[in-house]
Amino acid sequence: MRETQAIIERVSRANDTHQHVHLTVDESLTQLRAGQSLLARTTQTWDPYLREQWWPVSVSSGGIVVEQPATARVEPGQVVSLFGVIGQPYRYRRTLRNVLLIAHNTAPTPLIMAIPQLLSNTVSVTLLLLGAAKDYGTQHLPAELEIIQGEDDLQWPGRVTTVGWADQVFAVVDDDDELAHFAALWALFRELRADIPANYLFGVFRPALPCGIGACGSCIIRTKGDQTLVCGSGPAIDLTTVSL
Amino acid sequence: MAVRITRPGKNTLVIDTPVMPAAGVFGFGDQYRDLLKIDKLGAVVTNPVSYAARSPASGVRIVPLAAGVLVHNGLPNPGLRKVISQNRATWERLPVPLIVHVIVNNVEEVTKSIRLLDEQEAVAGLELGLSEEMSAAEVQWYVQAATEQTEKPILVRLPFGVDMEYVHAAIDAGADSLVVCAPPRGTARDRAGRLVTGRLYGPMIKPLALRMVGQLARMVNVPVIGAGGIHSPEDGRDFLEAGAVAVQVDSVVWVDPKMLEIIARDLGGLVLTQPSGALPDEWFPGMGETQRGEAGHDDTTRKRS
Repeated sequence: MRETQAIIERVSRANDTHQHVHLTVDESLTQLRAGQSLLARTTQTWDPYLREQWWPVSVSSGGIVVEQPATARVEPGQVVSLFGVIGQPYRYRRTLRNVLLIAHNTAPTPLIMAIPQLLSNTVSVTLLLLGAAKDYGTQHLPAELEIIQGEDDLQWPGRVTTVGWADQVFAVVDDDDELAHFAALWALFRELRADIPANYLFGVFRPALPCGIGACGSCIIRTKGDQTLVCGSGPAIDLTTVSL
Repeated sequence: MAVRITRPGKNTLVIDTPVMPAAGVFGFGDQYRDLLKIDKLGAVVTNPVSYAARSPASGVRIVPLAAGVLVHNGLPNPGLRKVISQNRATWERLPVPLIVHVIVNNVEEVTKSIRLLDEQEAVAGLELGLSEEMSAAEVQWYVQAATEQTEKPILVRLPFGVDMEYVHAAIDAGADSLVVCAPPRGTARDRAGRLVTGRLYGPMIKPLALRMVGQLARMVNVPVIGAGGIHSPEDGRDFLEAGAVAVQVDSVVWVDPKMLEIIARDLGGLVLTQPSGALPDEWFPGMGETQRGEAGHDDTTRKRS
């Protein structure tokens, strides 16, 4: 974990609701992998007070690109303070062939960085957008990506096939009461599959992170027999281990 | 610089710098080792710990406020025995005294916690976190139960806004110093419109805590450690001027960890001068000691003792 400074080089529109912020960053951050994030401070004032969690969507040797709501106020040339790297990369199975990414009532931003990496490794990727996630424009995503538009109530065409076909599933949900939303998703998968093995269904948790370093205890979730820090072991937590 | 932060006596606690993190912001050991120099602090105060494990609060735990934040995390911790086993090696390596913050919930647990901590050589002092819901009699009961179990100094963190009967109960029971004060509790609506109650952090807390420190420091005969809303060296100095012997810095550590070190260096008499015209990323605390030679800026920083 380091605190570094970055410069915003460019801000481009990704779709109707989100923008991409192109940053020149410290070299250490270019090792960042899908699933990991940064905590950013864009102002020297105390409002907003806490650092914002920034999710990269691509990383290159020259810098990184993070995705934000289009309403976020950032400008080219702006210097920002970054904490990072936060969390662990997504852990894929060695024999991975098919991945299902789910966004339910939220933008799929934390999942986007994984898509090109998986596709380049000849893994089939399906992005399932449910509820308010359907507002997320997908024109900037790779053409090889399969996209399914579902309904608000966890309904989509061919549910049993989609769930049965996936070797691994990563899901983001509305960050307001994440545990309840993940519990609903868990119940659905229990309905659609005979069993849910370990390392199959991952919740990508996004609690507010005051410190991002495991010091404040605000992001702890109860896992079976233990307590897990999302900022340290997350964001993707195997839902078979979570006390939902 | 040597600052005595507890009553004089056999095990009085003396620290080099009158600045330390407050309970609840710094973790259980050295999580911040890569972001600031822990050896520049006066002490490390751990997160609150209870004898038995405590689960995190359910539901929303963080509510952003204008220039601050409300935190309702339920003081989760894996229980004292596990905290000790997981952190003992780190505690023994810490370059500054360690103060363990103990959650005061029932007398049996407090007694067992203090006994266990008394056996830990790496622990220099204990801080009791009292609740505003306790009566003066309960305060006396808890603090006395703690002081009877150990000769290590007992710091008592007071809730915000308690009366003098409460304060004297703690002192009469043997508190070696008072930490004034715990973050006040407040209620705010989360994004979904639900009311959430928790602890308030932010610069707006400072005037409230500073007033309480000023009042108490004149009226009690034990050292007072100021805490609440400190976000700059100037804030820290205000608390010292109000009568505190040392300060605890809270949520700014999350937002800007280096500020804790900057405050510690400033109040500890180790001020670094930012070179004229330097960009922010060309200067940072500790540069004078660690990287000045590498950077070739021999005259850019100076340390005053």
